[in-house]
Amino acid sequence: MTHSDDNAITVEGLTKHYGDLRAVNDVSFTVRRGEVFAFLGPNGAGKTTTVEIIETIRTPTSGRVNVLGMDVTKQKRDIVPRIGVLPQGFSSYDRITVRESILYYRRLFGCSTTDVDALIDLTNLGDKRDVQFNKLSGGLKQRLGIAIALVNDPEVVFLDEPTTGLDPHARRAVWDVLLGLKRKGKTVFLTTHYMEEAELLADTVAIISKGKLVAMGSPEDLIERNANYMCLTLRSAEAGVLDTVRRLGFEPVRDDRNNIRVRVKQTDDVEAILSGVKGAGLALPGMDVRKPNLEEVFLGLTGEVLHESAPVSGATP
Amino acid sequence: MTPRIIAANLVVRLRSFSREKSAMFFTVAFPVILVLVFGAIFTKPEHMNFELPVQDLDQSDASAKLVKGLASQGVFETIPVPADADAIQYTRDHKINLLLIIPKGFEDMQLRRLEEWDDDASVTLTYIYDPSSTSLKTKLQFLNAMAAAANQEISGTSPFITLKEQSILAKKYRFIEFFVPGIIAMAVMTSSLSGALNTNAELRQKGILRKLATTPITRTDWLLSNVLYQIVLAVISTVSILLVSYAVFDVRLEINAWLPVYVVLEVFAFVGIGMLLTPIAREAESAAAAGNAFLFPMMFLSGTFFPVEMMPGFLQKFARILPLYYLNEGLRASMIFVDNTTALRCAAITAAVAGVVFVAGALVTRWDQGA
Ligand SMILES: Nc1ncnc2c1ncn2[C@@H]1O[C@H](COP(=O)(O)OP(=O)(O)O)[C@@H](O)[C@H]1O
Ligand SMILES: [Mg+2]
Repeated sequence: MTHSDDNAITVEGLTKHYGDLRAVNDVSFTVRRGEVFAFLGPNGAGKTTTVEIIETIRTPTSGRVNVLGMDVTKQKRDIVPRIGVLPQGFSSYDRITVRESILYYRRLFGCSTTDVDALIDLTNLGDKRDVQFNKLSGGLKQRLGIAIALVNDPEVVFLDEPTTGLDPHARRAVWDVLLGLKRKGKTVFLTTHYMEEAELLADTVAIISKGKLVAMGSPEDLIERNANYMCLTLRSAEAGVLDTVRRLGFEPVRDDRNNIRVRVKQTDDVEAILSGVKGAGLALPGMDVRKPNLEEVFLGLTGEVLHESAPVSGATP
Repeated sequence: MTPRIIAANLVVRLRSFSREKSAMFFTVAFPVILVLVFGAIFTKPEHMNFELPVQDLDQSDASAKLVKGLASQGVFETIPVPADADAIQYTRDHKINLLLIIPKGFEDMQLRRLEEWDDDASVTLTYIYDPSSTSLKTKLQFLNAMAAAANQEISGTSPFITLKEQSILAKKYRFIEFFVPGIIAMAVMTSSLSGALNTNAELRQKGILRKLATTPITRTDWLLSNVLYQIVLAVISTVSILLVSYAVFDVRLEINAWLPVYVVLEVFAFVGIGMLLTPIAREAESAAAAGNAFLFPMMFLSGTFFPVEMMPGFLQKFARILPLYYLNEGLRASMIFVDNTTALRCAAITAAVAGVVFVAGALVTRWDQGA
């Protein structure tokens, strides 16, 4: 086996212009077979453009894109039967039930041997099989979309923002399905703007901002390389705490929940801050120290937040 | 082209259709309601005869025969007026505009004339009338014609000039028979155009087309399944319209091979026009508006509800550039007049238009606007 056979996807110097806009700008990466690869970036970063070029449904302005060893601009017909796609904002025919939808797409692919009930089980849609699409909640629709993306037993599965707009409970349920896919060893190309999603599911994360790849690696690597510090959070702190910490030579920020967040290099710093606050006679209802996450990596690399409603660091236990 | 894929698409679309009440309404109920309403409004007057009150002062066999003769022509429905009534007063009281009086001695005079060859024997039938009535002239013409015919019969000579009616149309037809082909053409047009326009816009807006682009379905499969779906819908509306027309109005129409030919051609033509309009109307709602803006003028100007000849000259010329005009003309030629030459000419024009717009429409139809 040659080296390229280990790669499900190879992208080299991919660029896509929409008029004057450079939606994707000289992007290169590879996705290994069997890995979950996450494209992490905020809205408008160029995730969908990139993924749809790889899916053969948009044409690149320049660059070379290979899927399963085939060129996306020349071998669309050969690629399509071997990949599965959950498009962004997936939707199906309103009046068609879960089971009928899966059967319909199975027929389009001509995969009469695919076990529809197994797909329904995999996506936990057992009690919804006869429910029409327009009666499904957002999370169920996405899970149906994932089941449909698997009707042709694809070698690579593309999931464009599978949990955007879902409530935390529904998001968990989708993640359970995706963890199932990961255990089965499917190659998955995932785009998301939720860092927890990338952290939980991905073997490799590529961070994209304004059409450019800014970093790539395993979540641990990225954090190690780009966020070499710890996060101290002082909960519901009084007004004086901010000044006290600042006078100690740190750069504290107050978030919208009245917590104060400080980046620290070592445990001694934590001790210094705590004793400083105590010494000033200020109350401290609670605190925690944790390693930084991809959210902070992203912020550090791009100066942008991933999405408007990004959970505030330290607010999650 | 993959029959498996086309069939799968057709099944999904028909299933959606059968579960969508408003779609069912517009395809089946709406045209049927139009036929019922317009049929009921316009069919009545043609069966209605003029009422003619007759005061028979003679009360003889001969006068009774005359009254019967008046009624048997199908123009008048005679109403007996009591012999002792004052005719003028009766006319006023009952708001009648024409009343006929058969005088006493009618039978005597008739016998004298027929059996005794008395040329001086004659009768005068008096009619009392309201000169302001609009229908009076027509009624009097009928009465005069009948009197002339009766005089001639009695005089025994055969008439020198007789008039035979021959309409320029090969066959007499009622309004409902004119209307039904128009409604068929309208129903097929509406469902094909709005089907191509709204469903495509809706499927695009919802991203279903984008999902389909990642499956093996080709543009040809997609277009063919759409056309087949629209043909099934067109057949459903056409059959419902015909069933109701036959059952309720007992229409006499010629159902021949032209009907399916026209239905199929019309589906291609309006699915094509719908595809051409789709890129203009990106959003599903504006698509519906664009469709209506196109449909309504087309319906009124192409002779769906009334003959194009009733419109001013410049509009008649304009009608000739509308595809629906040729469908109306052609369907009427085949269903009413059995005029194959006109049917063929209109079918050829429709086929040419359908071919052009369908191919052009197919070319502008794309899976994904992003490309
Ligand atoms: N079809 C298109 N035409 C013009 N601009 C587009 C099109 N699709 C995306 N864009 C623009 O390209 C940029 C990247 O978009 P997209 O790939 O959808 O980003 P993401 O999926 O990361 O949110 C955005 O600025 C978007 O407005
Ligand atoms: Mg996107």
